[in-house]
Amino acid sequence: MQETLHLLWRAIKQDRLATFGVLVVTILVLVALFAPVLATHDPYAMTERVEGTALWVRGEQVQIQEGIAADTLFSVSADGPDSYVAAGAGGHVMRYADGEWSPVATPTTETLRAISAAAARSIAVGHNGTVLWYIDGVFEQVPAPTEADLFGVSLTEDGTALAVGESGTVLHLDGDEWRTLEVPVARDLHAVALLSSDYGYIVGARGTLLRFDGQQLAEVVSPTFRDLINIALFDRSAGYAVGERGTVLRYREGEWVEERGPLSRTLRSVAMSSAEEALVVGTHGDMMRRSGGTWQQVATGYSRHFRGVTSDGDTAVAVGTDPYINSLAHPSPEHYFGTTHNGRDIYSQVIHGSRTALVVGFVAALMVTVIGTNVGLFSGYVRGRTDNVLMRIVDIMYALPLEPFAMVLVLLGRPGIHIIILAVGLLTWRTTARIIRSQVLSLADRPFVKAARIAGASPLRIIYKHIAPNVLPLAFLQLAVAMAFAITAEATLSFLGLGPPRLYSWGTILHQARLSGAWRTAWWWVIPPGVLIMLTVVSVFFISRALEVIANPRLSRR
Amino acid sequence: MTRLIVSKLLQMLFTLWVILTVLFFLFRLGLPDPTVALVTDGLSPEDRAIVTERFGLDRPLPAQYVIYLGNALTGEFGRSFHYNAPVTSIVGERVANTLVLMLPAILISYTIGPLLGVLLAWKRGSKLEAGGITAGLVLRSAPMFWVGMLVIMLFGIQLGWFPTSGMRTFPYEAANFFEKIFTLDFLHHLILPTIVITLYYTGLPMLIMRNTMLEVMGEDFIEFAGARGLSRARVMYRHAARNALLPVVTQAAVTAGLAVGGQVVVEVVFSWPGLGLEMFNAVRTSDYPLAQAAFMLMAAIILVLNFAADVIYGRLDPRVSYTSEGAGV
Repeated sequence: MQETLHLLWRAIKQDRLATFGVLVVTILVLVALFAPVLATHDPYAMTERVEGTALWVRGEQVQIQEGIAADTLFSVSADGPDSYVAAGAGGHVMRYADGEWSPVATPTTETLRAISAAAARSIAVGHNGTVLWYIDGVFEQVPAPTEADLFGVSLTEDGTALAVGESGTVLHLDGDEWRTLEVPVARDLHAVALLSSDYGYIVGARGTLLRFDGQQLAEVVSPTFRDLINIALFDRSAGYAVGERGTVLRYREGEWVEERGPLSRTLRSVAMSSAEEALVVGTHGDMMRRSGGTWQQVATGYSRHFRGVTSDGDTAVAVGTDPYINSLAHPSPEHYFGTTHNGRDIYSQVIHGSRTALVVGFVAALMVTVIGTNVGLFSGYVRGRTDNVLMRIVDIMYALPLEPFAMVLVLLGRPGIHIIILAVGLLTWRTTARIIRSQVLSLADRPFVKAARIAGASPLRIIYKHIAPNVLPLAFLQLAVAMAFAITAEATLSFLGLGPPRLYSWGTILHQARLSGAWRTAWWWVIPPGVLIMLTVVSVFFISRALEVIANPRLSRR
Repeated sequence: MTRLIVSKLLQMLFTLWVILTVLFFLFRLGLPDPTVALVTDGLSPEDRAIVTERFGLDRPLPAQYVIYLGNALTGEFGRSFHYNAPVTSIVGERVANTLVLMLPAILISYTIGPLLGVLLAWKRGSKLEAGGITAGLVLRSAPMFWVGMLVIMLFGIQLGWFPTSGMRTFPYEAANFFEKIFTLDFLHHLILPTIVITLYYTGLPMLIMRNTMLEVMGEDFIEFAGARGLSRARVMYRHAARNALLPVVTQAAVTAGLAVGGQVVVEVVFSWPGLGLEMFNAVRTSDYPLAQAAFMLMAAIILVLNFAADVIYGRLDPRVSYTSEGAGV
């Protein structure tokens, strides 16, 4: 046994291709062992991306501008002619001027939920009572009398401001001082619109509507019980509020009335450009416009969520977007092999897939070799009727196609790793059996076997003690060949969807690529698993070629 | 020779019988209610009674088995759930579709492969030989379905040279199978899958041929032929190759069997309406009668192909190759 191994090692060292094969297999085994460390992502996790996006609406034209900020933008406000400021997560504030978005430094990393600009000044508010003032080109954090998350803010030309937030928080800025207002409800307040120092409305959860008269807040009868998320007032006689499930409230002459628009998902922001015209944005790229007395959906060609919108005459700008699934991303330093349609990291899947390939390959090959070698030993030594029957069975095995056989097993059971091992193991020992048998046939007539028989050794003893060690090199060779075959078979069967549904293998990755339909263009999804299958199998072939020289000295002449 | 054919024929029928038997018990044991293997759920009680009667499902297992064998002999495999039609009528054309894709590809592989093998043996020790061996092994390692996907991506989608699925461009009219396949459109559809199958199967005969050639080339008669002043090419291809062909032929029979199974993935990738794709769909829709019949037919194809190989090379000694290249598994 030891001598055999030593011979094998020598043969491999002499053959360059075999050395390459051993190297590759060693690396693969290491990769499989350390898969959790080497994988950069959870192979099952749908990775997400966030980025700020702007959508411009100029008349009938809609134009998307992706990646303008590194984080979600929540709110946007016009702060001059063709000039806008937008605030978002991570304390990001972006300013649009001279046709370009550029970041503005802020002293915070808190999420900024709303921004409001008037008369060359801006206020941004956010989580944990964050209030930022923008004056003379610099953002300054000002102390606020609350720790609550603030969701909305509105600033007037004359310097009055209201900020609203969770659990009925309302801050009032008059002159230089922020004070907390008495609020008749304890619900979350989502947005505020202030026209002047003594006229404004606040909207909030469960249809909350509050009126501000310069001093205090009064609850107004609301026509809805759904969450209201945003509000815009054009003047004292015209306004709109929007909310979840396509809720739209229209304000006319002191009364709020519910209206039906064409959208049914959550509406997140509304902007008005005249008493009759309004633009609403929502989730999944939803947008609608009211003009000429009716609401009409605007196709944006976009499916991510919008957060805020503002309009300035003919131009409107909407910002977003929420974190979205990073689907079908090209290879990048973040995802070496790109991502699947579900945003799963393909590199990590491939790394984890090496485990399945090696385990199934080895277990199935072992099964094949054990069955095949034993059948070959008995068939070749006992001969006669036993040999006949066993070889007939081998013939029958050759008539069964592997993939369809596995399919029948799956049809009668359920897909899984055991089906693959069983199919390969039960079917493909046929070749090993034939090859071992013919070797045993020639060994059985050798003097040492005859001597053992005369000495009275039992057939079992002769087979396992005397003959088996001599076919061991050949069995090793067959193990390698069977392993190459088993790895290909596993990939093929998994590709057909017969593999374990919750376990990644190289075949499963390709199966999912095919199912998604994205494989026709997503080359980064198709190439890596296939290259690894090929590399593994060819390495085993290389190794087995070197083993052949030992197993079959006839070949060493080559 | 006649005796050999008869004995091989009997052997083939015996194997077919064993497979039928194994299938019978697999399906009876694997399914709680045997009627689901043969009839649809939506069947009316009267129809169900007819099928039960025809397959003897109300009788004991041995009686069922006898009826099953009789039905199989007459080609009665039940009704497909999915198509709601007799299985036999569905699979008939699929067999032809499968063969028309598989046979040419195997034939090409086993023509080109040995020719290349002779070349490798001839140029022994050269870079060409080393490259040829590596290329042969690499091609055998790349799974067919993956190569199929790559080929479709490149030639079908990117370059748009070839259609990526099916046998013909829809809609088309063909009165019979031959009218369907004797068209340029069909050839256009055939090229990509044929390339994929050929690439995979060429490596094996090439490597086997090379190995046997090297052995044959050491024999005396080759030296004599060279001494007689015959050209090297003539010695190689006329004298040596002829004597080295045996193991390749043996392998061709085994490959035919493997190819029928391997065909499934190619048909799936190229949506080729053959037996393999039908079987694949039958498994997905749990269409037991169809799956059973498709499997039976695939086994039958293998047996017939092996039988043909046996008959054609009847007197050849079925030597078993030791080499890993020779081990088709």
